[in-house]
Amino acid sequence: MLGDASVLFQIAGIGIIVAMIHTILKQMGKEEYAQFASLVGFIIVLIFVINGISDLFQQIKSVFLFQG
Amino acid sequence: MKWIGALLLLSATTWVGFELAKKLNDRPKQIIQLKNALQILEAEILFGQSPIIEACENLSRQLPEPISLLFKGISEDLRKHPGNLYDIWRKNLDSFWPIVSLGVNEKEILRQFGRTLGQHDFTQQQKHIHLALTHLDRELQEAHDYQFRYSKMVKTLGFLTGLLVVLLLI
Repeated sequence: MLGDASVLFQIAGIGIIVAMIHTILKQMGKEEYAQFASLVGFIIVLIFVINGISDLFQQIKSVFLFQG
Repeated sequence: MKWIGALLLLSATTWVGFELAKKLNDRPKQIIQLKNALQILEAEILFGQSPIIEACENLSRQLPEPISLLFKGISEDLRKHPGNLYDIWRKNLDSFWPIVSLGVNEKEILRQFGRTLGQHDFTQQQKHIHLALTHLDRELQEAHDYQFRYSKMVKTLGFLTGLLVVLLLI
């Protein structure tokens, strides 16, 4: 569970690349597209994180409610 | 296997970016070629006083590759079934447009110019050619502006998008 750190690197990579896209779009005067790109990046990362958190909640449920 | 797929995806999106940048870079060049074509056509009409079929044939011989196809098509169509020049002009413009990087504005300018072709005397025709040249000048400036602003951005964005998708799928 804890040993699988590759998702962290993946999220970090996505963050770096989205930041680069944002910078380039903003430099070229496309502010609204830049905002949109950051938003999409944020949502993608959010989906990853929600997966992890739902795993965590399943674990907690199986510990305390004797399920799964 | 995974890495080969990642590399393929990355090269594909980078290629798309470069292709879009090429389209942006080609547009000013082709507008300049169109302007040259109109100037040669003016010379053919005013000094050569040649009929439109011969003028188009001369144009297709003198101009570089993508633009010459338009005039080649027009002269061939006129030879095969002579009819209304404007109809032939418009039909050739429609079939010619997907193979060049020009925008809809240039097409509209050329279409309106084609409607005046062969309707007036020399001085009027010259005025119409100059009008079309002025319009094309304006489009040329806009195309240069676009090229300057977006061609680099499109290349970088293609690469970065590929990197992002690869990271998502890994």
